[in-house]
Amino acid sequence: MSTLGADLQWVSLEPSPVIEAYKKDVDRTLIRENLKLTPDERVKKMIAALHFMEEVRRSRKAPG
Amino acid sequence: MTDFARLLGALVEGHVEFIVIGGFAATAHGSAHVTVDLDVVYGRSAENIARLVGALSPLQPYLRGAPPGLPFRLDGDTLRRGLNFTLVTSAGDLDLLGEAAGGGTYEALLPRSEVRSVLGFQVRFVDLETLIHLKRAAGRPKDLERIAELEAIAEEARKT
Repeated sequence: MSTLGADLQWVSLEPSPVIEAYKKDVDRTLIRENLKLTPDERVKKMIAALHFMEEVRRSRKAPG
Repeated sequence: MTDFARLLGALVEGHVEFIVIGGFAATAHGSAHVTVDLDVVYGRSAENIARLVGALSPLQPYLRGAPPGLPFRLDGDTLRRGLNFTLVTSAGDLDLLGEAAGGGTYEALLPRSEVRSVLGFQVRFVDLETLIHLKRAAGRPKDLERIAELEAIAEEARKT
């Protein structure tokens, strides 16, 4: 049970069975790779993925 | 598509007091998810509101999802009368929060934040523990998967 201080509302940070269940599906290899990067590198990697997704979306929309 | 560098640049170069939360902060902490908008908690002082208006005006902010033609202007009065704004700008989607769920005002989050160099700017991000706290406080079912990932990041970070 935890709170981060009087100025933030109390929130239980106890392990939640639902969150623990979701955790089993988290790809920790991706996390470990990201943790080797700097925050700047992590952000740039995410933006590159976003650009790629946008390109895919556009190509699906393109006529022909 | 959101131009994060342009949005952050406008805020940083406008000397706005803000803290990045949400998906972009999760990315900076190591999340593998892609996020499409920028969520920031901004200081509510009169000076900061004036800086925020000055920084965002060139980006033509408008209420996201509102019908075109609605008489909306992001000015000091609008910001003072409201608190949280979901905006679309010429640089992409921006959520301006006077207070995040869980009591996350700028002043409350400031001691729980850290400055990181990102995209050429010194940007203040909420720390990982507090980001988890805010996500849990929001209590949205869609956040459960994200919370699981953030907690896994915290666990992995403790191992290193």
